[in-house]
Amino acid sequence: MVNTETIPGMMITETLGVVSGSTVRAKNIGRDITQGLRNIMGGELVKYTELLEESRQEAIGRMVADAMSRGATAIVNVRFATSAVTAGAAELFAYGTAVKTE
Amino acid sequence: MAEGGTWLIVGLALSLPFLLLALFGILWTIAYPVMLIWAVLFSTKKLNQQIADTTSREALLRDSLGRDPLTTIDGGYRSDITSSGIVWAGVVFGPSHWHLLIGYINNLIGGSIDTFQKVVSAGRAEAMQRLRESAIANGWDDVINVRIDTADMAPQGGQGGVKAVEVFAYGTGVKYG
Repeated sequence: MVNTETIPGMMITETLGVVSGSTVRAKNIGRDITQGLRNIMGGELVKYTELLEESRQEAIGRMVADAMSRGATAIVNVRFATSAVTAGAAELFAYGTAVKTE
Repeated sequence: MAEGGTWLIVGLALSLPFLLLALFGILWTIAYPVMLIWAVLFSTKKLNQQIADTTSREALLRDSLGRDPLTTIDGGYRSDITSSGIVWAGVVFGPSHWHLLIGYINNLIGGSIDTFQKVVSAGRAEAMQRLRESAIANGWDDVINVRIDTADMAPQGGQGGVKAVEVFAYGTGVKYG
């Protein structure tokens, strides 16, 4: 899985279309409150960083599962998109092109 | 008498969420000014410390490697790449409410808003540094085709929620043969 258009040292023999994975996640209200308090002081919001990291992992996992089901051996040109649905809930979206390599 | 007691319990149970909410509201009105003063006094110092910390880690890594592992070139510049894979790092970063206040005042006057610029670039530097560190930790020599995304954590600019941005940096880790 790479975000370049080609894989260095490998030949792409076939493209299998766009694969994607997405997830919407939120932290519980207790976390929202503590992060809100932390926000007054500024700086990094550690729990939200963790939340996005976990959700992105999940989105990537779904994308990879999608690619696997199509029989791909690699995903090239991976892109990420993030949007906040409401405060505290974020949608993570990962997409790329599934390819067969040799 | 027993009937009355039951109704009292039911009434209490029903009003419990509202009581908690009211309690939280009261605590908030007391705590918020205190925390705002705390932020006024210490948030600039905290931000500067954060920037200094990121810069020193960056310098340390650059010294130990002899170069910056990140490039934005698609495909890299060397042809002896043996393996590759994706690396990414993200950080959620927000200005303190004191910096927000300064920002709003600056916004009225117009021109460049230095406080926000400082906060966002601090977050971005932190995300890039984490990308470097995670690439090194995963055994990659370099990271090519680096992209940096910035997403707003507070949609619609409405009340409530945190005022923060998520900086997300990703690229392709490569190993040279």
